Amino acid sequence: MPVLLDVRNIKKSYRMGKVIVQALRGVSFSVMEGEFLAVLGPSGSGKSTLLHLIGCLDRPDEGEIILDGKNVLRLSDDELAELRLKRIGFIFQFFNLLPRLTALENVELPLMLARVPEREAREKAKKLLELVGLGGRLNHRPSELSGGEQQRVAIARALVNDPKLVLADEPTGNLDTKSGWDIVNLMRKLNEEMNQTFIVVTHDQKVAEVADRIIYLRDGLVEGIKSVPR
Amino acid sequence: MKPSKLLGMAWLNLKHRKLRTVLTTLSVVIGITTIIAVASLGEGFRGEIKQRLEHGFELDVLIVFPGSFVAGLREGFSQSDVDYIKGIENVTLVTPLITVPLTEDLELCNETGAKLGAFTIGGVNFNEMRELLPQRFTLWKGEFPVENETGKMILGYKASIVNETMVADVGGNVSLILSHGFMRWNFTVSGVLAKGGTSGITNFDYWAFIPIEDAIKLARNKEKPYQIILVKVSNPQKAESVAMEIEKHFSPYSVTVFVPTALIRQVDGILNLVQMFLVAIGSISLLVAGVGIMNIMTVAVMERTREIGILKAIGAKNRTVLSMFLAEALLIGVIGGLIGEFTGYLLSYGLATVLANFIQPSGVSIAERPEVHRIEMAPSFSSLWMLIAFIFAIAICIIFGLYPARKAAKLNPVEALRYE
Repeated sequence: MPVLLDVRNIKKSYRMGKVIVQALRGVSFSVMEGEFLAVLGPSGSGKSTLLHLIGCLDRPDEGEIILDGKNVLRLSDDELAELRLKRIGFIFQFFNLLPRLTALENVELPLMLARVPEREAREKAKKLLELVGLGGRLNHRPSELSGGEQQRVAIARALVNDPKLVLADEPTGNLDTKSGWDIVNLMRKLNEEMNQTFIVVTHDQKVAEVADRIIYLRDGLVEGIKSVPR
Repeated sequence: MKPSKLLGMAWLNLKHRKLRTVLTTLSVVIGITTIIAVASLGEGFRGEIKQRLEHGFELDVLIVFPGSFVAGLREGFSQSDVDYIKGIENVTLVTPLITVPLTEDLELCNETGAKLGAFTIGGVNFNEMRELLPQRFTLWKGEFPVENETGKMILGYKASIVNETMVADVGGNVSLILSHGFMRWNFTVSGVLAKGGTSGITNFDYWAFIPIEDAIKLARNKEKPYQIILVKVSNPQKAESVAMEIEKHFSPYSVTVFVPTALIRQVDGILNLVQMFLVAIGSISLLVAGVGIMNIMTVAVMERTREIGILKAIGAKNRTVLSMFLAEALLIGVIGGLIGEFTGYLLSYGLATVLANFIQPSGVSIAERPEVHRIEMAPSFSSLWMLIAFIFAIAICIIFGLYPARKAAKLNPVEALRYE
């Protein structure tokens, strides 16, 4: 299986008030295409920072990130935005849907940004909402949906541009146990059926166990990598 | 993102903050209303004044007086002066006037000895005067002397009618009496001029005209008998250059050439300046609206920081975020501008009605001279002004929206996502 993502010795520190926090102190790993990877670590281990760097939302101080053969650090801000739009999908802990748009419009948004024709965008968004099991709630606004439903909309939005890589930051962190498991199973199902690569950041060991591999992160360093037997 | 989608989202966001949007738009409406009202009223007023001036003067006739404000009164003009002016390029007709003021010592009376209403005796060539001032030098009754025969008189309207009584009619005899009968010249009234109407320099209501040959007898200086020379030019646009040629012939400040087109141009220029000044003051209210937009949008950017982070995370470029916020500013500008144009239109008529009562000529002069009609205070809407105001509204909104929109576009996505 080809390597989709190669992270080489990345370091990142940021300022929090007067203290400089060394969030990542040299992290390296690779992800295969179609893999379901979990990044497990306690809070403050740097796992969110890692996800932001992989997701091209921020640039590391040092190191290289090779996504799909491209060194993303050499790209301009606009090119990074384009990369996020077309190659990467984000799923957040707090769902992060736009409150004034309906479920359908939220899923359509990345297509609109990519200038996909309106009719085509509508069809695509509908299809994905049906895929995540929300075919009947297309025109509901986020405030009219449950947490689990909102996260499904977010998953549909993350997948709508057919990204190479889907990044999930504590996707179950704001859900009750049952909804959380539904989401994890949905992601796993999408991974298996659509051969979609997932990187899921979590602090929940049980969630991580669903993955193909688990990367243990502590104090900004990779503590260990474990393959989960099927 | 497609412009239609951008506008759609902007509209959605504006709708979500209804009260804020309405108030911000209102400030733009007030700004545009002010500009439209001031500009259209100014334009209307300017047009009215200009029209009145053009009505009061013959634009192709110059009036040459001896002396000037700088050098004081001078003696009259000689025949050679008149001949010189005749030779200037673009001059089509020149006619001199001899003016003799009527005083205690020189009176104009009818057969019964009653004084006529005239203030001035004018010695003219009737045919030339008719050619020079075809609209103004016209008869109400009687006829002009055909060959400028001596002993004929043409009266101004107010010269023949005193206190609504005709004191000298066509065919009547009138006399010029010097020093209570020391000398006496008799004339026959051959016609009465039509009422002069609006003010202007060539209003002949209080004149009594006699042939120039008769007037020379009254003149003190027989060598330089003419007090006024009327000069007709081929085209009003040539008036000022002809005036300069005339002035060159005489020693500095020894003549005054009255050029109606120059006067109208000056007055129009001043009114234009006043109008611009008022519009500039009106524009300040739009600037204030702009600051309001900047303020409200800065708040909106802060409130929507997280949303901006989401947009960036899912792939919106900086310029897309910028356009989203500018689209909101644009919508406020377009809506505020359109409503403002409409309310400005209404306000102009409202103000015109109110103002009309303040700018009439003072009561006394209206009573004495009923021919001075009311000043019309109708606003004049030029599509150019409407367009300028509309573009101005949009420009202000965009310019003031630019700072907050740039601020939004430049937000760091990670920090924006973390924002609570």
